[in-house]
Order: sequence, then structure tokens, then C-alpha cells
Amino acid sequence: MIDRRTGYRFALGRLMMIVLLCFALLPVLWSIVLTFRPKISLFTPIWEAPLAWSLDNFGALARSDFPAALINSLITAGGATILALIVGIPAGFALAKGGLRGTFQTSWALLLLRMAPPIGIVLPLFLTYLNLGLLNTRVGLTFAYMSLTLPFVVWSMWTSFSQIPSELIEAAAIDGATLPQILWKIVLPLSRPGVVAAAILGFLLAWNDFFFALILTRGQTATAPVAIMNFVSYASVEWGAIALATIVLTLPIVPVIMFANRYIVQSLGGAVKG
Amino acid sequence: MQHHATATGLGPATSLSGTATLRRQKQREYLRFIYPTIFLVGLFSFLPLVGMLALSLTDYHLINGWGGTWGLQNFARLVLDARFLNSIYVMLALSIGGVAVQLLVGTAIAVGLDQIVPRWKIARGFFTIPFAVPHVAVALVWLSLFTPTLSPINAALDAVGLPQPTWFSSQTGAISAIVIADTWANFPFVMLLILAALQGVPRDLKEAAAIDGASQLRTFFVITLPLLKPALLLVTLFRFIETLKHFPLIYVMTKGGPGRSTQATNYYAYVQSFENSNVSYGAAISVTLFIFAGFASFWVARINSRINS
Repeated sequence: MIDRRTGYRFALGRLMMIVLLCFALLPVLWSIVLTFRPKISLFTPIWEAPLAWSLDNFGALARSDFPAALINSLITAGGATILALIVGIPAGFALAKGGLRGTFQTSWALLLLRMAPPIGIVLPLFLTYLNLGLLNTRVGLTFAYMSLTLPFVVWSMWTSFSQIPSELIEAAAIDGATLPQILWKIVLPLSRPGVVAAAILGFLLAWNDFFFALILTRGQTATAPVAIMNFVSYASVEWGAIALATIVLTLPIVPVIMFANRYIVQSLGGAVKG
Repeated sequence: MQHHATATGLGPATSLSGTATLRRQKQREYLRFIYPTIFLVGLFSFLPLVGMLALSLTDYHLINGWGGTWGLQNFARLVLDARFLNSIYVMLALSIGGVAVQLLVGTAIAVGLDQIVPRWKIARGFFTIPFAVPHVAVALVWLSLFTPTLSPINAALDAVGLPQPTWFSSQTGAISAIVIADTWANFPFVMLLILAALQGVPRDLKEAAAIDGASQLRTFFVITLPLLKPALLLVTLFRFIETLKHFPLIYVMTKGGPGRSTQATNYYAYVQSFENSNVSYGAAISVTLFIFAGFASFWVARINSRINS
């Protein structure tokens, strides 16, 4: 390409990128600052007391409900993802390669479930769980999360399996392989990126959820996003602990997302690259 | 989807009816792969949605229970409910404002990363960080940045003698605050999808335009942007629907205030259901949101099937 990377326009473009990068990083850097600021200097500008720092928030967070809530999050989001993968992968395979009718209606239904207002699902679940004694249980929340993860996994696996040439499957069928064998030994190894992306994004749907957990759990069974709100009360807000909790929730996800970037892009919209 | 018709391995010489039978047998085998999903999605997604619809036709109250009447009274009440109409206005303001800003920021970053600073590999990583932050945390961190006594932005403005913004005392301010936090959390989604679409733009097209003497800016608007249209349309629809479902940002940052000025419809449904215990009315509000989702998902499904065929 002809090099036009000179001149004021290009400089302007770079400036724009720097400004946008500052916008993206400001809350991140600010959380790090908040984490290490002692309570008494929270409301003093950093440049007036640059050396005031402490590790108090680590102790405060460790003593709070947050670690237990983190485990609840892992169990429910993880459980919902594993369940969705086990059930959703074969379904995605059948939709992509089964030559079935009603694929348009199915894709509409899956999208509708993704777009439906969560309160429309949570409200009836709440009333049902209330009667079945599933309210405030991890099992109840896991199955509720499955209503987020399963349609998503089916949709993304459908997309990635569609890219596998049908000839491969036909050839294996001629050789006498059964459908489960074809899926397990041929199709799945070829779509590993798709499975990884579906697993990660499906997990994040549940991991990042606030609404379901707010309605369906309380106290002992609350997930991490709900437990963060315990640091907010009418009397005071524990900004340091909140910032640290945010970092704890985000830090493990950042490398995963950076690693899986490519795969995620392919399955995010599911449709952009067909 | 019909390319499987010849998957029987018997070749074109087989009689038509034999192929059809085998195909149906094959389909039945594939269908068995779907049953567990149909069962679970039915039980935990569709059944609750039907429950929501049924609930909206009753007068069920969380504490008082069911008064015994059926009918459309909740929907009749909706039409006259000023708070509901206000909530739709707020919802649309948050959605349209949010989607417009996110689209602009996300596309600018994607195009910038692709064409202005392609060597900033680390920056690409930095730009995806917000994607990993749960929305409650996003809301809390931005709340701290919008709290005048705490915010480093306010402190900096104060230090140089500039006026400080107050975010949560007016509707415009509060809506802007939510839009900014929402943009921060979601521009990576736009960015990632547009980046993927940009990689699909053939390089020789751009080079041909450059040889013809078109400026880089002109090349972008005339060649690149039209090719990004399907991606932009899908991103817009997905983001629009997501912004209709705003909850954590409102719950944490404004609680619907000041007054009711940020009480969007989804949040209003929550308030009616769980603060006023008026679950049947909350369900009716959700039904209206569900109708929105029905239209939008149909549209996306249409676009999607057109792209794939």
C-alpha cells in the first residue's frame, strides 16, 4: 500500500487513538489507585499525598463474604457452562449438519432467548423456586444461568460447525462411523476454537450476571457481583474494597480474553463472517 | 441446508424414494441430538416466558397473592401509567444515546487499530480489558469517578480552576453518566466485531483506490464503510437490544433517580415487581419489552440467514 503515514491528518489520528486509550485505561488505573489508598486519604487528590498507600483493603476483602461469594460464582457459572456445553454441542451439530427443517425458526428462537428481558424469565422462576424451595440455592441459580448459557452455546456451535465441510462427515459415515463418533472424533477436534470461544463467552454471561443472582440468591448463596454491593451501605461506601474486588473479578478474565481474542471475534456475532 | 440429501453414499443411481427414506432416517438420528436442548430450554426459558405472559393477565401480588381476576387490566393500566410512558422515553434515550456513542467509539478504535496504528499490538489488548469487567463493577468504578468529592477528574478540574461537572442532579447529567459507563463497558464488543469485518475487506480493493489517487479518508468512506454495513447493522441491533435491558448500571449508579429521570422500562418492571410487590404488573411491563425483543430478533435472524445463504 502507498505510504501516507505522514502529515497532519495522520498525527490527528494518532492523537485520537491516544485519547481513546486514556478513556479505556482511566477506570482501570483508578481502580488500582483506589485499592492501595488508605481510607483517610481517599478524598485527598493523589498529587497532594502521593505516598499515602496501604494494604488494608486486602485484609478487609479477605474477612468479608466476598471470597465465599467468589466460589459461589465459580460453581454456578461453571456448572451452567459445562451443562450447556454437554447439551448444546450435539444440538449445534445437528442444526448445522442434520439437514433439518425449521432452521430459520430455530435461529429466531435462539436469538429471541438471548434478547428477551431477563426479568421475564427471572420473575416466573422466582415464584416457582419460592414454592419448590429452590430459592437461595446454588442448584437453582445454576439452572437459571443455563437459560443464558445454553441458547448462546447452541447458537455459536451451530455457527462454527457450519464451517466444517459436509464431505468429511459423509466420508466418515460411509466408513461406518456412527453420528456420536463423527461428532467426537472428527467434528469436535476441528472446531476446537469455536468450542473454546463458546465456553469462555458462555461462562462470562453467567459470571458477569447481576440480575439473576440479585433476585434468586441471598446471603450465603450470593455470587460475587451481588456480594460487591455489600460494601455499599447508606452510612458509607468501602471504595477501596470495591476496587480490589473489581480487580479480583477481572484479573483472571483479562488473559483469557486476550488469549481467546481471535476465537471470540469469530463467534461473537456469529454472523459477521458467516 | 439441503446439501445433505446425497449423504447416503449410494450415489445418484439410487431411486428417489430410497434416498428420501434414508434422508428421513438420518434426520431422525440427528433430531435425537436436539431433544435434550429442547427439553432444558423449554423448561427453563420458554416455560418461564409463558409464565410471564400468564402472570401479566392476573392480578397476582407478591404478598396478597391472587385476587381471582383474569384479563387485560394490567395492560389497560399501562397505557395510562405516566411512569411507564416516562420509562419508555428514558429507555429510548439511554439506548439511542448509548448505541450511537458506542458505535462511534468502537468503530473509531477498530479503524484506528487497523489503519492508523497497526503496530500497537499491546494497545489492542488494553482496549479489550473493559470487556472483562462485570457490569456491577463497571457501575461502581464509574460511580466513584462521578462522585465529586472522590473523583480525580473533579480534583484535577478544581486544581486548574475549571468548573466541576455534577452528574446526578439532572436528568441530562444522569443519563450521560450511564451512557459513558455503558460505552466504556461495551465499546470492545463493537471494536472486536468491526475489526473482524475490516479484516474481511480485500486489500487490493483499497490499493486500487489508492492508485487511482483517492485519499485515505475517501477510500474509507467510499470503499471500506459500505463493506462494513452488514457488521455495523448487526452490532447496532445487538447493542440496541442489550441497552434496552439496562439494569446494573441504573441500580448501582442512580437507582432510577434523580426523581424518576433514569427509571428505564426494565428497571421500572423490577421496581413494580420487587419493591412494590406488584408482580403481575411487572410481568405486563416485561411483556412489552418482550415484544420489542421479538421484532428485533426476527430482524437479526433474517439478516443472518441472508448472510449465510
